[in-house]
Amino acid sequence: METATLTEKVAAKTIPIYIMGKKYEVPETLTIMKAMEHSGYQYIRGCGCRGGVCGACATVYRKAGDYKIYTGLACQTVVEPEMYLTQIPFYPANRAAYDFESAKPTAETVYELYPELFRCVACNSCTKVCPMDVEVLDYISALKRGDLTAAAEISFDCIQCGLCASRCMGEMAQYHMAQVARRLQGGKIAPKAEHLEKMCGEIDAGTFTDVLAEAKKMTVDELKKVYTERELEPHMGADEWTPASNFGLA
Amino acid sequence: MKLGYYPGCTLKTKAANLEKAAMAALDHLGVEYKELSRWNCCGAVFSLTDDDLIHQVAPVRNLIRAAQEGCDTVVTICSQCYNTLARANKLVRENEEKRDTLNRFMTEEPDYNGEVEVVHYLSLLRERVGWEKLREAVANPLTGLKVAPFYGCTLVRPEEVAIDAVDDRILEGFIEALGAEPARFSASRECCGSYQMIAHPEEGIKRAAKVIGAANRSEADALILSCPMCEYNLGTRQREVVAATDGLTEVPTYYFTQLLGVALGLDTDLCRLDLNGPAAQELLVDKKFIAAATV
Amino acid sequence: MPYTPELKELIKIVEKTRPERVAKKRNGEEIPFLSLDERKKRLDFHPDFKTEGRRELKVGPSKGYGIAHEIADLLEAGSRVAPEKVNLSEPAYETDVLVIGGGGAGTSAAILASQHGAKVIMATKLRHGDANTMMAEGGIQAASKGHKDSPYYHYLDVMGGGHFTNVPELAETLVTSAPDAIRWLEHLGVNFTKKADGTLETIHGGGTSRKRMHYAADITGAEIMRTIRDEARNLADKIQVLEFSPAVELVLNEHGQCAGAVLYNMETQEYFVVKAKAVILATGGCGRLHIQGFMTTNHYGATADGIVLGYRAGVPVSFLHTVQYHPTGIVFPEQAEGILITEKFRGSGANLVNVEGNQFVNEREPRDVEAASIIKECVHDGLGVPTPTGRLGIWLDSPMIEDLAGEGTVKREFPGKYILYKRFDIDISKEPMLIYPTLHYQNGGLEFKETGETRVPGLFVAGEVGGGIHGANRLMGNSLLDIIVFGRIAGTSASAYIENGVKDGKLTLEHVVKYNAEVAKAGITDGRVAPAIIPNYTEAEVRSRQLTANYIGNVR
Ligand SMILES: Cc1cc2nc3c(=O)[nH]c(=O)nc-3n(C[C@H](O)[C@H](O)[C@H](O)COP(=O)(O)OP(=O)(O)OC[C@H]3O[C@@H](n4cnc5c(N)ncnc54)[C@H](O)[C@@H]3O)c2cc1C
Ligand code: FES
Repeated sequence: METATLTEKVAAKTIPIYIMGKKYEVPETLTIMKAMEHSGYQYIRGCGCRGGVCGACATVYRKAGDYKIYTGLACQTVVEPEMYLTQIPFYPANRAAYDFESAKPTAETVYELYPELFRCVACNSCTKVCPMDVEVLDYISALKRGDLTAAAEISFDCIQCGLCASRCMGEMAQYHMAQVARRLQGGKIAPKAEHLEKMCGEIDAGTFTDVLAEAKKMTVDELKKVYTERELEPHMGADEWTPASNFGLA
Repeated sequence: MKLGYYPGCTLKTKAANLEKAAMAALDHLGVEYKELSRWNCCGAVFSLTDDDLIHQVAPVRNLIRAAQEGCDTVVTICSQCYNTLARANKLVRENEEKRDTLNRFMTEEPDYNGEVEVVHYLSLLRERVGWEKLREAVANPLTGLKVAPFYGCTLVRPEEVAIDAVDDRILEGFIEALGAEPARFSASRECCGSYQMIAHPEEGIKRAAKVIGAANRSEADALILSCPMCEYNLGTRQREVVAATDGLTEVPTYYFTQLLGVALGLDTDLCRLDLNGPAAQELLVDKKFIAAATV
Repeated sequence: MPYTPELKELIKIVEKTRPERVAKKRNGEEIPFLSLDERKKRLDFHPDFKTEGRRELKVGPSKGYGIAHEIADLLEAGSRVAPEKVNLSEPAYETDVLVIGGGGAGTSAAILASQHGAKVIMATKLRHGDANTMMAEGGIQAASKGHKDSPYYHYLDVMGGGHFTNVPELAETLVTSAPDAIRWLEHLGVNFTKKADGTLETIHGGGTSRKRMHYAADITGAEIMRTIRDEARNLADKIQVLEFSPAVELVLNEHGQCAGAVLYNMETQEYFVVKAKAVILATGGCGRLHIQGFMTTNHYGATADGIVLGYRAGVPVSFLHTVQYHPTGIVFPEQAEGILITEKFRGSGANLVNVEGNQFVNEREPRDVEAASIIKECVHDGLGVPTPTGRLGIWLDSPMIEDLAGEGTVKREFPGKYILYKRFDIDISKEPMLIYPTLHYQNGGLEFKETGETRVPGLFVAGEVGGGIHGANRLMGNSLLDIIVFGRIAGTSASAYIENGVKDGKLTLEHVVKYNAEVAKAGITDGRVAPAIIPNYTEAEVRSRQLTANYIGNVR
């Protein structure tokens, strides 16, 4: 499969990078993660999904002659010449356990679990350091004013890598607070899906038991026939579309 | 002028009775404003207790947000928020060195040099609307209601950000415009004591007792406030204070914005009297300013 | 890396044909679906059908069954650790249920087992939640809308997608438990995308007859994973999580029941034993084996370990001859190679277009048919788009979505991918994406029943490690569903099994000793060991200089 080779066969130009202060020459097309592997590292920590969603590979780096702290996900960030990098695969953070069933969907729930929320001085280091461009300070501000819905929305892309916690002068673990807000929003604030409840009821009542029993007994050819003839919901149509038959459900 | 509205956290949580009627009143009075879409805590807790520059970051960031939304003026109702924002603004305007440090610290934001004007809601009423126009807009004059105006600390101290010189009597002007009578009230610029409540509770109670005692002596029917902290100590905890002190009687407290709403004849629900003690509601019903509660 | 000038030229061709394609989409004019016969022919281009890609197993319960070399290499390998060296008489931990794997299936199983009163240990290879579950984007299927859908149609779609080879009982359990699985997730606080009145948004996926794909923006798996992980963490007194502790062998007892596992602490390099009354294997898939050299969407730990463990303990494998290639993985920019571009892009209206700007396949064929069509277009018909590093790809015309659903839709509905490409200076609301099939899902796996049981008493299976639900090909959105449904079932069954009374017995690794002997007898003497645990991406050249490095399999 010529289009599916794994390692870069085309020789790319190499550039110097500094992994924890030590210099390595690596192909300029690699991500930080692949560059470290290229240099001989084998990951145990600091590598999870390799796709930018798990938050295992948070990386902090500086560039030569630049005072600024840069951050990125090792699996997503392409190397740059003269970058000085280290990974932060783990950063301790206070997480408060809670009973979700009895938790009230109000700001007080978060305040009680995380009173340190009010240590925020709005320095914004959290937002600056976030590799996902989440407006961390904005969701913390939303929590302080009790707006769980806004906090859930603003924090939605959080991958819980912990970089915000590593830089917070209030010593908070913002991402754990956001997790509580999102669950309260999804489970207790957003309106429930009634059609879902109804369908669960139909299934429990055995509405489909017979028709499925029949389907299970079908030969492959019979199955193929009903499969081919089944009615297809149009692609661009509205949700309200109804088929000619739907086995006993209006 | 493009007017931004900075709400502050407490108004979005516990002090809805400070906010709702106020914003409806602006609509009613034809003042256009825009609530800021992004904002953080004003920073009050810190700037009052400490002097580090880092504590100016929060208020200045809010001013930057206002500037980003194209506002040249930002109005706020909570007197704590007002105080914090106004002091930070003053610092930025007057202290070039600190301003530069703040701007350097917040490189992720546009530079801020004090372009936005911070005003308190009461000043907006006085300067933008005017007492005359307000009086005309009153549909339900609070005739016969004697109101003790309580400024507390943050509207008038420190002097550089005071919304009122001692003899301007802005709250008194406001009360008169609503058709009520301002009480002559000796404790109107005292501290409510709320800041003492945690470290020195007896001191906190003593301070509150002083304010309530003065209100009693002035024969006021009610006490009006502009600060959620004052409301906490003088309103929410009043019963406790009265019980602990000889010779006090209870007096209903309101946010000034609630009486504004009642006088303008706005929907009473907006005034959120349900968040005050029951006496607050009863007084207004007795005086026939509002219909009996259906809450 | 932004598109090169050459690619930008080629994009102009796509732009030229776009208005007409958008108009067609609006009018509901689609390329007709292939008939079942045509599908079959098209699948000749699928990697599964390359005979040189597989071989017959020489050992174990499924001896003679032909599967991919990369998996066979692991099944025909010895143990990582000499069984006689493991001290079975002093387990480091004892528990009721041992869950192996901290993805969606394992976490659901752990929660349910603990809710039924069992004490749970969950051992996982990386961190809790570093798993394929975290990576799922597109959605989760369930017939939740009675006005147009029912488990019956879901069943037909599952069976059709799997080419009618699925185990009917498993498919039935999947579809009838689906709405309840979604309800459970909703209850636990998963933020599914909804209308203002609470109605769940649903869309089509490849092979669905009804719009029944539920989603949480474009991070459905992450939203599910982080929610149930949070719930498991709240139950920390009942669920103990051991991270960086992969299982390397199952432990049986003298009565032939599964009674624990040997775990490996990757950081201190110790092997230790967990004794349990029941074990749930939920180790996920095998993408990191890079079958036939394909790039993969899978997480770092997807190395088929569970299959090796279960197979050695006596559980046959089924449907493992088929592997799913996701039709749309990134081929350019190469820093992002292999990363999945969810089917939802096609569901929202984006066309697949060749180098001449033409469509060549309906965008909602089942995955294997779609992937085979793309491979055919590139390799056989010569209509692929050449990348700067000499690969071929096909355009996925995402800007169409903006034309169809309004400006800003791409950024709003696909924030994750929008940001990813932005980092490479590519704006996918204006420029199309370049894609090629990528190794995605292990259709088959360990044989198991709809109760989660396997042939080995006390050993349960849940999630991608199992085979049969999806037959020879899984439809999008049925795997997230499968892990929740069968994860919960396995947790419940395992605790019920314990409640019925489990005889205590002497722990043994005799099955491993026997297996090692069988491997040796089959003439496999190259010292291969399994499970693989993690892939090794160290350059051969660097490796040749690691003179004193000690590699056991892939792991240094
Ligand atoms: C990029 C991507 C997108 C996807 N999109 C969708 C989608 O939109 N809809 C859908 O339905 N499905 C989708 N899937 C498929 C689906 O996400 C997975 O099939 C499913 O989540 C598998 O869940 P699991 O719990 O079985 O395995 P995983 O989630 O992979 O969890 C397995 C866990 O076991 C651990 N483990 C492995 N070996 C060992 C060992 N030896 N000892 C201990 N622990 C071990 C792993 O590290 C991991 O934590 C997608 C998959 C990928 C990769
Ligand atoms: S490895 Fe998961 S985010 Fe990089």
